[in-house]
Amino acid sequence: MGLDFLVRVRRTSLLAGLVAALIAGSSFTLSTGLGVAAGAVWSLLNLLALEAIVTGRVGARLGRDHSMRRIAVGGSATLALFIAGAVLLTQLSPIALMVGFLIPFAVLVLKAASMLLLQSSLWRRITANPWQAAAFLAVVIAASWFAATGTHGVLRANAQESHATTTEAHAAQAEPATTEAHATETEHAAAEGEHAEAEGPKMFDNVLGVVIKANHGKPWANFLHHFEYVIYAMIVAVILSIIFITAARNPQMVPGPLQNVIEAAVEGAYNFFVGILGPKYGPRFVPFLGTLFIYIWAMNFFGTIPMMHSPTANLNITVAMALTVFGYVQFTAFKELGFMGWLDHMAGSPRSAIGWALVPLMMPVHLIGELAKPISLSCRLFGNIFGEDMLLVGFATLGITALSSLHMPFGLPLQLPFMFLGVLITQPVQALVFTMLSTVYFLLMLPHGDHGHGHEAEAHHNAH
Amino acid sequence: MNPKQPDPKKESWLRSTSLLLAIPSLLVISPLCGLFLGRFADRWLKTTPRLEYAGLALGFLAAIREIYLIIRRVKAEQESARRR
Repeated sequence: MGLDFLVRVRRTSLLAGLVAALIAGSSFTLSTGLGVAAGAVWSLLNLLALEAIVTGRVGARLGRDHSMRRIAVGGSATLALFIAGAVLLTQLSPIALMVGFLIPFAVLVLKAASMLLLQSSLWRRITANPWQAAAFLAVVIAASWFAATGTHGVLRANAQESHATTTEAHAAQAEPATTEAHATETEHAAAEGEHAEAEGPKMFDNVLGVVIKANHGKPWANFLHHFEYVIYAMIVAVILSIIFITAARNPQMVPGPLQNVIEAAVEGAYNFFVGILGPKYGPRFVPFLGTLFIYIWAMNFFGTIPMMHSPTANLNITVAMALTVFGYVQFTAFKELGFMGWLDHMAGSPRSAIGWALVPLMMPVHLIGELAKPISLSCRLFGNIFGEDMLLVGFATLGITALSSLHMPFGLPLQLPFMFLGVLITQPVQALVFTMLSTVYFLLMLPHGDHGHGHEAEAHHNAH
Repeated sequence: MNPKQPDPKKESWLRSTSLLLAIPSLLVISPLCGLFLGRFADRWLKTTPRLEYAGLALGFLAAIREIYLIIRRVKAEQESARRR
């Protein structure tokens, strides 16, 4: 997998962007379609410029002049794209632009995932039997249809809102006297919107939610309401602590079932994290990263238990975990590099006059880069688990609606396949991704002499 | 507990995959982070929309820088694995 993969991604993205723009233009407004197309083209050009910079810098076969020319062209194109992006943001719908912008990334992720899937034994097993393959396809189509319906609603609401704003602006120009009445109506609508937003989307009932509803208004019920997700997170922590303490209390040479499972989990985590961080630094971070993985997996799984709720479906919990990782990474950098070394790292390790001149630019750039890490960690975990919960609620509602005309006291359990899918794939994968990225953030901060080279931390170490 | 002997090729593959996994999110989140920081600064200093655009540009620069560092590291990783 090399640059030819990126070429294939570009071709597919171009086609996908064109189709998406046509669909958006015909389903919503012309400007939405233009926005999607512009976003996709902008994103593709940006990737092309980035590719030119990277290949110019790391391409060993290119001559020095050719490399510099490539980097200069890539850099100039990127700067021109910033300006074009700013103009586009003022002219077209930001949501449509964002949809177009994300198309190449979606294609990239889907292509990589399909390459992995096609080589897996799971895929061979699914396609071995035509009936099994047809059932799998039906489930995928149903899930896509449901997801597309949700996106369609959001985009339509956005288009209607922008249309209403335009109409209102026209009316205000024609009749200045009615502006005040319009403003009052708009404020009223905004207040209603806020009220609806405060209620939040419907989710499955859970034990604490039922207790809170039954004791509405009481101070302790208010306390439970405020700390609902924190309480669930603590319950998960207590359960895990009990399991691990029980397993480790009386270790035997011939382990029992529980000790066996825990030992296998700990050994797996040890090999995995030491494999990434190396034998020098890896063992130090295994307890933190291994605990993080098991804790997140358990929290993701907790929502599958009836009358329970996933704490990771709340942004506060995921942000708290991401900030813990961020704090530990910065602490490690302080410890390994020292305060001056950390400052040097933040300034982009300047070693020449040009480097020092660029310090005022590199400081905010590095700060934004560091801040983006906890935000991306927390938003990804929250979005995936919350989305999974919403999917289950949607299918459960669909199952109830399907039998509502028969006045049955129950519905079709349409959410069950997705629950199994969540337990088998989404929940462990999301826990793994969070932990893997946390490990990468440690790796990028640590000096690494025993495997490869090429980061500021190492540069700093070499300098001393 | 008796950890297995490390396999250098597998370790190198694992490290490269983990590093590359960080790219998509950083590419999207860094500009957004810069945009919102700029917007916040704009409201505070009443300079709308100058710092918002500056933040967006810095966010893109931060994304490019992070990706450049990651790709350089992956390249070094692959070179070192090939030599072994």
